[in-house]
Amino acid sequence: MRKILLFFFLFSICNYWSQIDYSKLIIGRNIGTHTFHDGLQTRIFGFTETLSAATKIPGPTIYLNSGDSVKLDFWNMSQGAPHTIHLHGLDVNQQNDGVGMFSFEVMHNEHGFYYFKAPHPGTYLYHCHVGSTIHLQAGMYGLIVVRPADGNSLLNWENGESYDREFPLLASEIDTVWHNDTILDHEHDMTMPLYVPATFNPNYFLINGKSGTQLSDIPNHLFALPNEKIYMRLANIGYYGVRFIFPAILEARTVASDGRPLPLEVVNDTIEVLPGERYETFLQLGTENSYPFIVEHFNLNTQVISSSQTIVIETTFSGVETNEKVPFEIFPNPTNGIFDISEMVTENYQIYSLEGKKLKESMESPVSISDFANGSYLLHYKGKTVFIFKD
Amino acid sequence: MLKNGVLEFNDGSSASYKIFTSSPTFAKNSDLLIFNSGDIITLKVVNTTSENHGFTIDGVLNLGVISPNDSIQQTFTSPPAGVYRFFDPLNFPYNEYLGLSGVMHIKAVNDVTPYFYWDLREHQLSWNASILLGNSPVLNNYEPFYFTINGNSEPDINLDTIARVIGNVGSEVRVIIVNNGLSIHSMHFHGYHAFLLKNSKNIAHEGREKDTFPVYPKEYVVLSFVPDKPGEYPVHDHNLVAVTGGGIYHAGMFTTLLIAP
Repeated sequence: MRKILLFFFLFSICNYWSQIDYSKLIIGRNIGTHTFHDGLQTRIFGFTETLSAATKIPGPTIYLNSGDSVKLDFWNMSQGAPHTIHLHGLDVNQQNDGVGMFSFEVMHNEHGFYYFKAPHPGTYLYHCHVGSTIHLQAGMYGLIVVRPADGNSLLNWENGESYDREFPLLASEIDTVWHNDTILDHEHDMTMPLYVPATFNPNYFLINGKSGTQLSDIPNHLFALPNEKIYMRLANIGYYGVRFIFPAILEARTVASDGRPLPLEVVNDTIEVLPGERYETFLQLGTENSYPFIVEHFNLNTQVISSSQTIVIETTFSGVETNEKVPFEIFPNPTNGIFDISEMVTENYQIYSLEGKKLKESMESPVSISDFANGSYLLHYKGKTVFIFKD
Repeated sequence: MLKNGVLEFNDGSSASYKIFTSSPTFAKNSDLLIFNSGDIITLKVVNTTSENHGFTIDGVLNLGVISPNDSIQQTFTSPPAGVYRFFDPLNFPYNEYLGLSGVMHIKAVNDVTPYFYWDLREHQLSWNASILLGNSPVLNNYEPFYFTINGNSEPDINLDTIARVIGNVGSEVRVIIVNNGLSIHSMHFHGYHAFLLKNSKNIAHEGREKDTFPVYPKEYVVLSFVPDKPGEYPVHDHNLVAVTGGGIYHAGMFTTLLIAP
C-alpha cells in the first residue's frame, strides 16, 4: 500500500512539474552599492539573477509569455530580514501573492517558490512585500513584461499592434537617509512595530535606476532607428507621482494600463503615472534627430514638482547599415560584457561605436565586450544591426 | 449634528476633529448618508460648536451659514443615483480637512449590489492644532503622518463593516472610494483587477480595467469586480508612506479583501 501511495505522490509531483513552462531563479540581496550621477554612493537592497551579479536598481526585468505556467524560485541570500516577491498586478492566488502574513516569508538562505500563470500581455511589477515601505525604498523591485503567448517581442498582445522597439522606463526615487544601516538592518518581529523614518524627502529621482546626467548624457540616450514606432512601458514603483511629457512631434498614444488594453486609446503628450501604475504608450519617431522628453516627479501631498529630468531618444547615428526587423536576438541585453547571439555564428560579426567606428570583428561566441566602456554599441551580423547596451 | 471632538490614533496620539453625525457619541468619521433614488430627504444640520459652519452637498444643495447653536433644515428630492460629497464650504479647505466632509450615496432603484465605502484622509497633527488657532497652514508644507479610511487605520479598518470588503467568488462587489483628504492616493488591489465604473475627475477613464487607482483630492471613483478566486488580499495606497501610521509600518491605509469560495 505504501508503495502505491508513494507512486501516486511521485506521479503527481512529476505531473505538476512537467506543467511548468518557464522557471526562473531570483536572488534577494541586502548588500549592494548604488552610485548616483554626482558620484555619491548609497547602500541598496535588490534582486539579482546570479550570486556573482552586482545588486542594481531596478532588479532584472522578468520576461514571460502569456499563458505560461511559471515557477519563480526566490532564494533569499540577504542575511537580514526575510523577503518575499509580490507579483504586482498579476492577480495570483493568496499563496503565491508574496504577502508574508497571508502566505510565507523567505528567511535567509531559504528558497521560496511562486507558481502562477502569466496573465494578459502587458507591463507588471514585482517587489518585496516584507516591511515594504523600507524594502522598496531600499531597491527591491523590478519590472515584469508579459509577451503574447507566442513570445512575439514586437507585438503588444494577440491581435494587438506591432512596434519596432520597446523602452521600459521604471520610475522611483531615493531618500538616502532611508538607506542608513540603522534603517535597512531593522529587526524583524511581526509582533513588534516596524518604524520608518519620520519624513520622506527623496534627494534622487530615478528612471531605471538612473538620475541626472546618467539619463541625459550621451551615451545614456535611448537609441533607435529613424522612423521607428516605439513602445514605451511606463511604470512607477516610487512614492511620488510621475509625469512623462513627450514632444508633440512624437504623437504619444497610450493604449494600455496595468496590463490591460484601454477601452479607448488616449492621444496625449503627458502621461501621469502614480505609484503602482503602469501605462503603455506608442511614440512615432521621425527622421534622424534627437527627441528629448521630460520626466517630472511630484510630491503627492503638496503636488509640488520636485524633479524635472530629461531623457533623449536618439536616432542621429549614421554610417552603419540598419534593418527594420531583426532576425536574431542577443541576450542578455543590457549586458555586463558577455552575451550570446541567438543563432549559430557562422561568419564574422562587427561591433561599432555609435559614431560608426569599428571596435571589434570576430566569430567568437559568446561575444565579449568586457573591455569596452559602459554605454551603447551596435552589433552588425549577416547584414543586420542591433543595439547592445553595456552597463 | 456638527460636533467637535478628538480623533484618536492607534499609537495614542490624537488630534482635534469635527464631524457631521447623528450619533450621540463622537465617531471617527462623518456619517455615511445612503438614500434611494427618488427618496424625499429631510436634512437638519445642528451646529453644536461655537463658530459658524456650513453644509453643502456638491451639486445638490447649500444650506448656507449655520450659526453656533443654530440649525437649518431642508427637504429635497434625492438627486440622480450616484455618489456625492458633502462638506462645510467655509474656511476652505481647512474645515473639510478637520473632518467636516463625507459621502452621500444615492442608490438606484433595485440596485442590490453590495457596496463598500472608503473615505480616504490623511492627518498632520500640527495642522489640526494650527487651524483651530485660526491659522491657514500652507499646503506646500503639508506632510501628513497618519493615513485613515473612514477614520480608521490598519488593523481597525478591517473591523469597520462599511469598509472591509467581504464577498464571494462569482458575486460582484463594488467599492466607492472618496478622497476627502488633501493628498493624492493611489490604491492598489492585490488579487484582482477591477473595472472603473465612475471617475469624477476623469470621465474618459471610465471603463478601464486596472489594479491601481489614483484618487485625487475631492474626487471619487466607483469600482466593480467579480472575484474569481477565494482568499484574503490586501488593498493599500501604493505611496507606501501612506501605509504607515505614526511612522509604523503598516498602520495606515491598508485593508484586506476577504473572499469566500
